[in-house]
Amino acid sequence: MTEQKFDIIIVGGGPGGYVAAIRSAQLGMKVALVESQHLGGICLNWGCIPTKALLRCSEINHLFNHADEFGFKVSGLEFNFKKIIERSRGVAKQLSGGVQHLLKKNKVTVFDGFGKLAGKGKLSVEKDGKKIADLGSPHIILATGARARALPELEPDGKLIWSYKEAMTPEALPKSLLVVGSGAIGIEFASFYRNMGAEVTVIEVLDRILPVEDEDISVFARKQFEKQGMKIITSAKVTKLDKGKDNVTAHIEAGGKTEKASFDRVIMAVGIVGNTEDIGLEKTKVKVDRGHIVTNEWSQTDEPGVFAIGDVTGPPWLAHKASHEGVICVERIKGLNDVHPLDVTNIPGCTYCMPQVASVGLTEKAAKKKGHKVKVGKFPFMANGKAIAMGEPEGLVKTIFDAKTGELLGAHMIGAEVTELIQGYVIAKTLETTEAELVHTVFPHPTLSEMMHESVLDAYGKVIHF
Amino acid sequence: MTQTAENRILASPLAKRLAAEQSVDLSSIKGSGPHGRIVKADLAKSPSAPRVTHTPASLPAGEDVVKIPNNNIKKIVAQRLQESKQTVPHFYLTIECRIDALLGARKAINDAANGAYKISVNDFIIKACANALMAYPKANVSWTDEAILQYAHADISVAVSTENGLITPIVRQAENKGMRQISDEVKDLAGRAREGKLMPEEFQGGTFTVSNLGMYGIKEFGAIINPPQACILAVGAGEQKPFVEDGEVKIGTFMTCTLSVDHRAVDGAIGAEYLQVLKQYLENPVSMLV
Ligand SMILES: Cc1cc2nc3c(=O)[nH]c(=O)nc-3n(C[C@H](O)[C@H](O)[C@H](O)COP(=O)(O)OP(=O)(O)OC[C@H]3O[C@@H](n4cnc5c(N)ncnc54)[C@H](O)[C@@H]3O)c2cc1C
Repeated sequence: MTEQKFDIIIVGGGPGGYVAAIRSAQLGMKVALVESQHLGGICLNWGCIPTKALLRCSEINHLFNHADEFGFKVSGLEFNFKKIIERSRGVAKQLSGGVQHLLKKNKVTVFDGFGKLAGKGKLSVEKDGKKIADLGSPHIILATGARARALPELEPDGKLIWSYKEAMTPEALPKSLLVVGSGAIGIEFASFYRNMGAEVTVIEVLDRILPVEDEDISVFARKQFEKQGMKIITSAKVTKLDKGKDNVTAHIEAGGKTEKASFDRVIMAVGIVGNTEDIGLEKTKVKVDRGHIVTNEWSQTDEPGVFAIGDVTGPPWLAHKASHEGVICVERIKGLNDVHPLDVTNIPGCTYCMPQVASVGLTEKAAKKKGHKVKVGKFPFMANGKAIAMGEPEGLVKTIFDAKTGELLGAHMIGAEVTELIQGYVIAKTLETTEAELVHTVFPHPTLSEMMHESVLDAYGKVIHF
Repeated sequence: MTQTAENRILASPLAKRLAAEQSVDLSSIKGSGPHGRIVKADLAKSPSAPRVTHTPASLPAGEDVVKIPNNNIKKIVAQRLQESKQTVPHFYLTIECRIDALLGARKAINDAANGAYKISVNDFIIKACANALMAYPKANVSWTDEAILQYAHADISVAVSTENGLITPIVRQAENKGMRQISDEVKDLAGRAREGKLMPEEFQGGTFTVSNLGMYGIKEFGAIINPPQACILAVGAGEQKPFVEDGEVKIGTFMTCTLSVDHRAVDGAIGAEYLQVLKQYLENPVSMLV
């Protein structure tokens, strides 16, 4: 088979890989993209997008159920669960097609197959166990993504015990559901199923849910979820799952005792491991540490000419992190000026549960641990006109500043639409604004964004409306 | 330096605040952010970044330390020197001149004066600088954002050290003045400068400065530009040393001159050509008669 030469080869067509491919093409490179399943990766097909389509439906259900608060009378409310799932799949499909179109438009050569490193600057592509192409390039970017972590004794079987894939394509709404793990993925599913009417229990091994978020946010979120009828058990561990015919009995260990409880279905959401197997890393210098490829700030691995971006390189496992790393990586390869490594403290993280959670930068605890003397501002949704008008009075905006320099160290929000609001703080943080610029910024009235202003004012003892 | 055309320093608000707190001069820092913007990390990277010498809060205090109050001249001069060194991009050109002919001419003139007057080497240098500026006006300039201002006359500021501090009285239109007039003016101006009796117009203005530390045996030095002027000539001591001419070792007297130049207004080649013209006048003082 004759080798086809490219300026750059990208393995994996998720938000890391396809964005890197488009950017490379824009920079005039001849690009090959190898994808074994669907363009768009986990994000478009099994992650960000289909879950948001589902969560939109559970929000609508929630609104209908609270219609009387707004003066509406809704009777005979029903939903077609199958259609809700179909809609979510349709959205994913539409976007995946969009990616295909973008790649074509940018003249990226897409190979439908599984890529494997095959010697210096070489990649072989296989489909159904047969080699279909030999590719060569001085630059190979691995963007193979990640998959759900499986724990021994608790492996998903796809029927009773689900990973995220089954969790977003069920045939029917389970009556009772156990969610193991309270990170973003676990909590989004818990929120979806609860607001669709299932009885939901969340088990978290750490002492609080959403453990990467600021403690105040975790506490606030827990209260809201419990108010909605979710059952949450923290500092607890599922040690065993006994599968019945159409249910699962979970052994839950908490406070030194083990109790058994039965659920229709279980969702395992206990973390992510990189797809590092079978891609030919063994014969390279590429280092893998705890399931993730080790890279430097320019996404270079220890093997010259081999780069890695996105979920396969470790946390934060976020689509926008993958895309951004991809762009920086190829711009660096191209030798552009003004390319800067990604600063993780400027990467926002969002969870689309109800109420939503969004944050950027350091938590209060992390800031103090790093030795900052901090100024902290908090503003509740309850005191914001727009939030009350919208009927969304539950939420909190918390900001953390370095007391000495006024540097915005972190912002943490919970409440309606905060995933859309957080970018304001992200821009501020990326531009290295201090409290002074934020204080002098005029926020439109009436908006939820005014709380972002008030929170800053609060940190400096100048809050107006609380 | 990270400046736009409008001379604005591009820096993030946080970088600006940190620089102010740490007394770091932002104009001395290279920005690594988008479009060369100075960001927090750049300040962290340069702990040794030049600092503005504000009075630090932690100066040693106590009985071993004597406070010598600064008068206004000292304060103003200090501020202007600091501003100059921080905002004017200096570079330095050094040239050596053989001054045997100049010394000979001086002796002849002073012998003939019979005590009526006494011309100094510095007077020769002032005259030579003025004539060279007229012959090569590209060095007789000031920088402004809109344009380079080129002057019609050589108004030579002469650095005079006084008890109250450094002061630079001006010999106006030195190109039109004879050696004796220059000498008389400098004596008068320096004398009154030491008594603190100069009128402002006698030391404000000027298009070029001469600073001479030759009488202290200083071999050579680089002076700080006196803005808005673009050039200052630092003159060292005349020294006898061997040199080779026509295959023979001879003894000659040499003087080192260093020109500090504002690179915005005067490029390296222009500064160098000016020094060549100046050297010619200093080495053949008769040519100043032409
Ligand atoms: C349920 C869920 C919800 C999520 N929600 C969000 C969210 O709201 N926001 C957010 O930012 N992130 C979210 N994420 C995370 C997000 O999906 C990932 O961070 C993102 O997809 C990572 O992009 P990537 O390009 O690194 O990898 P992936 O998207 O995993 O793409 C990797 C691609 O590479 C292909 N591949 C792997 N190996 C090979 C090979 N050898 N040859 C060829 N192709 C290969 C795979 O088929 C896949 O298409 C969610 C994840 C899940 C599971």
